[in-house]
Amino acid sequence: MLEIKNLTCGYNSRFLLKDINLKVEKGELIGIIGPNGSGKTTLLRAITGVIRPKKGKILLEKKNIEKFSFKELARKIAVVSQNSVANFMTVEEFVLLGRIPHRRRLQFLETEFDERIAEEAMDLTNTLQLKGRFIGDLSGGERQLVVIARALAQEPGLLLLDEPTSHLDIAHQVKILDLIKKLNKNGLTVIIVLHELNLASQYCNRLILLNNGLLYKVGSPGEVLTYQIIEEVYKTVVVVRENPISSKPYVFLVSEEERQKRGESVYAEKKGD
Amino acid sequence: MLEVRSKKPEVRKICFLFTVFCCSILCISSHGQDKFPQRIISLGPSITEELYLLGVENKIVGVTTYCQRPPQAQEIEKIGTVIEVNLEKVISLQPNLVLATSLTNPKAKEKLKNLGIKVITFPSAKNFREICEQFLELGKIVGREKEAEEIVYRAKKTVSSVKQKVKELPKPKVLVQVGAKPLWVAPKDSFVNDFIEIAGGINVGPSGENGLYSREKVLKQNPDVIIITTMGIAGEEEKKIWQKYKTLNAVRNNRIYIIDSYRLCSPTPVTFVETLKEIVKILHPFVKEHQCTRTSEHQ
Amino acid sequence: MDKRLFKWLIWILILAISLLAVGLFSLCIGSSGIPFKRIVSVIFEGKGSAEYSILFDIRLPRIILGFAIGGALSLAGVILQGMFRNPLVEPYTLGISGGAALGVCLNIIFRLHQTFGIFTLPLFGFLGASLVILLVYSLSIKGGILKIQGLLLTGVMISFISSSLIMLIMAVSRVEDLHGIVFWIMGSLEEPNWFLIKLVVLVSIVGLIISYVFCLDLNAFSLGEEEALHLGINIERTKRLLFILASLLTGCSVSVAGIIGFVGLVVPHFLRMFVGGDHRILLISSFLSGAGFLIFCDTLARTIISPMELPVGVITGILGGSLFVYALSRKQVLIGEK
Repeated sequence: MLEIKNLTCGYNSRFLLKDINLKVEKGELIGIIGPNGSGKTTLLRAITGVIRPKKGKILLEKKNIEKFSFKELARKIAVVSQNSVANFMTVEEFVLLGRIPHRRRLQFLETEFDERIAEEAMDLTNTLQLKGRFIGDLSGGERQLVVIARALAQEPGLLLLDEPTSHLDIAHQVKILDLIKKLNKNGLTVIIVLHELNLASQYCNRLILLNNGLLYKVGSPGEVLTYQIIEEVYKTVVVVRENPISSKPYVFLVSEEERQKRGESVYAEKKGD
Repeated sequence: MLEVRSKKPEVRKICFLFTVFCCSILCISSHGQDKFPQRIISLGPSITEELYLLGVENKIVGVTTYCQRPPQAQEIEKIGTVIEVNLEKVISLQPNLVLATSLTNPKAKEKLKNLGIKVITFPSAKNFREICEQFLELGKIVGREKEAEEIVYRAKKTVSSVKQKVKELPKPKVLVQVGAKPLWVAPKDSFVNDFIEIAGGINVGPSGENGLYSREKVLKQNPDVIIITTMGIAGEEEKKIWQKYKTLNAVRNNRIYIIDSYRLCSPTPVTFVETLKEIVKILHPFVKEHQCTRTSEHQ
Repeated sequence: MDKRLFKWLIWILILAISLLAVGLFSLCIGSSGIPFKRIVSVIFEGKGSAEYSILFDIRLPRIILGFAIGGALSLAGVILQGMFRNPLVEPYTLGISGGAALGVCLNIIFRLHQTFGIFTLPLFGFLGASLVILLVYSLSIKGGILKIQGLLLTGVMISFISSSLIMLIMAVSRVEDLHGIVFWIMGSLEEPNWFLIKLVVLVSIVGLIISYVFCLDLNAFSLGEEEALHLGINIERTKRLLFILASLLTGCSVSVAGIIGFVGLVVPHFLRMFVGGDHRILLISSFLSGAGFLIFCDTLARTIISPMELPVGVITGILGGSLFVYALSRKQVLIGEK
């Protein structure tokens, strides 16, 4: 569905991404991970056309995204970012904004079809009961679900999420990622930027590790989340074990105290893997 | 129309004479009425005063709130200030002539003209000659040309005699202050300059039309006489300020005078002469009074 | 969403009726005190009487101009507040009024309106406004992108510079010119030229229609530029066109009527408290309310200290400002805040 070829882009003269090559098939749930400043958000921005590539190109369904109009692009790709709040709308009005890419020339009011799609989106995200409330009155978790509902109202084929769980409690984190998994199972291609390695490991079927604007490693969670790779990229000591519930890799952080306490034995343990 | 091919030549003559008679009656009556405006609105205090001088005050139907002189003028219907005209009031008074000044809002003048009302603008006079010219012009407009000429003649005569009287006298350096904060003095290109020069003084104000001046410049010029207009209470304040500069001739000889603002602003030929005489007294305090009244035979 | 549409239509109806009422009220009230019963008979008598002239040659043009300019300024205010997502923005923040005032000042001191006709005053005002608009625009465009925050700052700076230049001109000008400048700056709905009045009405109404093309775009803008882009809005093109539209509306208003502040700032905020932030209703309701508000203020301005007339900008400031502060203290809702 999405092909990124030799992409080099950035802001002004700084190139944050260098020579990225990537292929995303339909129906995949891809996680983008990497340390701060590695270019994760930049990659999302490049895909949506916010920043133009200095070199290379991005193809969506075999067509260069620069050839799409903004409206066409918005009908295919929807973005859930961290800062899209408008406090003085009701949830319903906010979700209906997602129908803007689908409006016809002189259409001022939403059609019945628009309203139905919006309702379906709210239903999927379990926010239908919040319909008439003001966004400013919602909790962080509810707000995030509403934003996802709006993205779904765009009827996209590809959904991009930029750290949707970073400010939420664990219950909401799971709620949202479960939802995304469900949507993905129903056919929606998803690219999600996560900073939480374990969530990425748990939910994504492919991981892309960025480091300093370069593609460091692409593969399944098992292939990407090894302690050597993580220590190399994140420059911090970790221990990787198998998650007892899901059998996916689980990354354990090692604090300074622990490191000093264990001393040599930790390293020996690891070398033993 | 008329079957002039009538057999009786007398009938033709009578008809012809009758027509001529009717036409001339119409011409005379309408001419007599249209010739001079019967309902006048004045948009400036000096114009109002001048209308009274010309004796047409019964024709004035509207004046500004600033038209305070002569006192009878205060009874007349007010139509706004010198600058902002209340058009509704003006129209309701149904004037046939509106006399405006250069301060009148041009949009208001335009509006009145569009509505078919005659508007004549009198720009600010810059010297005595222009004051007289405008007065004569006004006289012509309201049909009192003779009276206007007489008044101007008398004024000019008095002015000439004053000029003669002060010809031989030493010319003091004079500064006339008309504004404070910022300091504004009468420049050389203004009618106040005329007051000074005709009265036998030298104006040390700036040349040109702009009166912004610095106190430093004044000190350098060192005037012998300083005349300040009242400006409300500001006049007294300014006098005190000047008195601090002990090097000024005017301060040393205690020749700082305050004159009522209205005397120095918007003069008519008559008030010009009155103020002129007062200024002569100020500039030349040792000249005897009776010399003013002597009609000039030296012309 | 029929309920919402219904609510909107009711609002539009209420505001339109209020506007009509204010217009009629303004027609009947004035310093020459034509009693109400007389008015109907005056209208039927037709042209000729002084009273007819007062109603139709003096009051009516002012009402029509008030409608056009009140509407135009409020519309420009809604557009700019939507674009900038900043509640303190009003049409004059961009420096347009400063440029227009400067143009008119130069015209007055060089006596051009006396030589070439009074028509040149608004023309120079418009030229001054256009020059400032071009300047602000070109200083804020970098690499094809119109930087919104830069636009705001540049506009404010140019406003200050223009004010200083105007004060300079005022300091060195003659007394008569000074009065002319001051009165122009204070703003007035008095306009002798019917052509200009019709022009402003045209610009105003066409502006309203065009703004509706962008009503949904403005809704999307409230989420932020990047978000709007994700929703498929061509933000650069939209920003450019909206900026030109708002500038044109403001420039025309300022050149004909001088500086009438507060209308473009207060009316959109006020309306937002009642009809919400959806631009589909906000645009037209601001237009209608702004028009009614200005007509009302003008009526007060010309009758309060009759026969003298207050500048209408004074009334809009005092009345508009106080009303707004009062409403703000009552309703908890604050606009445009995170």
